[in-house]
Amino acid sequence: MRIRRVALTALCALSVAGAAFVTYALLTVGDGRESNAPQPAVAGAPASITDPLMRGEYLARAADCIACHTIPGQMPFSGGVAFRMPFGTIYSSNITADRETGIGAWNDDEFVRALHAGVGRSGEPLYPAFPYTSYTALSRNDILAIKAYLFSVPVAHVPAKQNKLAFPFNQRWGLSLWNALFLRKERFRSVQGKSDAWNRGAYLATALGHCNECHTPRNRFYALEHDREFAGEVLQGWKAYNITSDETYGVGSWTGQQLSDYLGKGHASGRGTASGPMGEVVENSLQYLTQDDIKALVTYLRDVKPQIGERGSELNDRPPRALASTADTPGADEMGHGDLGLQLFERGCAGCHLWNGGGRQNEAARLLGAPAVNDPDADNLTQVVLQGSHLQTAHNEGFMPSFGGAYSDAELAALGNFVLEHFGGKQGKLTAEVVAKRRTP
Amino acid sequence: MHLVCQISDRSPMIELNVNGKVRDYDVDPSMPLLWFLRDVANLTGTKYGCGIALCGACTVHLDGQAVRSCVTPVAAAVGRKVTTVEGVVDDGIGRAVQAAWQKLDVVQCGYCQSGQIMSAAALLRTNTQPSDAAIDAAMSGNVCRCAAYVRIRAAIHEAAATLGG
Repeated sequence: MRIRRVALTALCALSVAGAAFVTYALLTVGDGRESNAPQPAVAGAPASITDPLMRGEYLARAADCIACHTIPGQMPFSGGVAFRMPFGTIYSSNITADRETGIGAWNDDEFVRALHAGVGRSGEPLYPAFPYTSYTALSRNDILAIKAYLFSVPVAHVPAKQNKLAFPFNQRWGLSLWNALFLRKERFRSVQGKSDAWNRGAYLATALGHCNECHTPRNRFYALEHDREFAGEVLQGWKAYNITSDETYGVGSWTGQQLSDYLGKGHASGRGTASGPMGEVVENSLQYLTQDDIKALVTYLRDVKPQIGERGSELNDRPPRALASTADTPGADEMGHGDLGLQLFERGCAGCHLWNGGGRQNEAARLLGAPAVNDPDADNLTQVVLQGSHLQTAHNEGFMPSFGGAYSDAELAALGNFVLEHFGGKQGKLTAEVVAKRRTP
Repeated sequence: MHLVCQISDRSPMIELNVNGKVRDYDVDPSMPLLWFLRDVANLTGTKYGCGIALCGACTVHLDGQAVRSCVTPVAAAVGRKVTTVEGVVDDGIGRAVQAAWQKLDVVQCGYCQSGQIMSAAALLRTNTQPSDAAIDAAMSGNVCRCAAYVRIRAAIHEAAATLGG
């Protein structure tokens, strides 16, 4: 009797393990149709660029590979950038053509499989910090053009850093299950009835540019909630704003010019300046896109289903206190009350931003209408003040020093709340405790 | 050969109005206004401090508004009136500020003072009777290492009094 039960249990365990192994194998190998699968009708690089390597460079920029695969000041694409996730730290890999530490030994199918299925060269599942859930929609041609470009840049011998993940997140096999639930290995399909620009914009935004990876909320399994596409999310301390077509909470009220300026130049008159991760996206990626491609992105964003945001975060570009101020002085209501936030703004900020938020001879320093001064959570406002901001494009250069070392948590909270009230007409919720947490994201 | 290059590379002359004098200058439009003022126009009263618009030492006026000339390209001054500390005394406000500065002996080391004077004159143009708080708010972008802030504030009150009375 006892022997039978043990045997039965063993048999059960074996069959479960067997089924798991088969599932695992099937899931990790890829969809097996990589070479023959139909190609998307949209190509990521404009037809005007004919040189294959230049197409690859354009695509690699549009996909912003460099941002995640390069530590500033180190060899481009040599990896090692840390991604601090709620469950541990992941380091990006060396994607130069070094045979030992990079991707020099990878063949075309292996590289395509990595982007389409999130699988490494020896079949190991990759962590979805690598945005293969977006890249899976890319065409094989585009992926191979990127590979050819990566194989043309200087080779760096930089061994991978060990990820620091706690159990069970350090078990890569678990990712196969995650993929089974959340990865849809489908190539981009043009939507009939939409313009070429719309389809091109959709391919650039959702596949190559992988805007979703920051701007779309994630569920508790850290997977994208696609039914809330572009509704906004906080990552590594920075808020990726709602960029849906909602007029109140998204970018629906932005003019076409404002949208294309923000994307292509990092600053939109009356809508603020890109900082932090979005500043990097503009510097590394968007500023290199053609005008037509920026327009295509705008066309697509204009049509993204509107999503409601948090009540109280509505953009107010006519805040009463800023309007009551001149460039030189705040309004009479505010002056002489000894408000700590106002005093700090006077000492550190007014010289460049001016009391009316107009910015002293610098468009990048204009505050009115900027999402950062309208978000009651003040995520990006806190980060910009803590870390400073630097945006360099072919069009302009913006620079703001860091104040993290100069002021205490309580002072920065007071400053942040003053800025929200004065320039956004918002009741800020910053406290010293919140600022302290944001110092170490 | 060198001569040919010079002629073919030459950018068009740029017309600028500096302290009321209109002249054509052979300068690169992207040159910082501060550099142009000191090295081309020989107006060395405007000082170089930080070079990134954080200290206020290089403050001049464009159409009466205080700007940091270190980060202002020459191109931004085309078609506008540039006023430096050498020219600010050409109007009543500037003269009142200068007189107050002399009367109260504001200057210590002096390096920041041309910038302070330019910011003070710009303030008095929009606010003829500024309070202490208004002065602090308006002068916040002009740093003084000698910490002559109290005398600067007193001198602005003095200038406002002469202008008002």
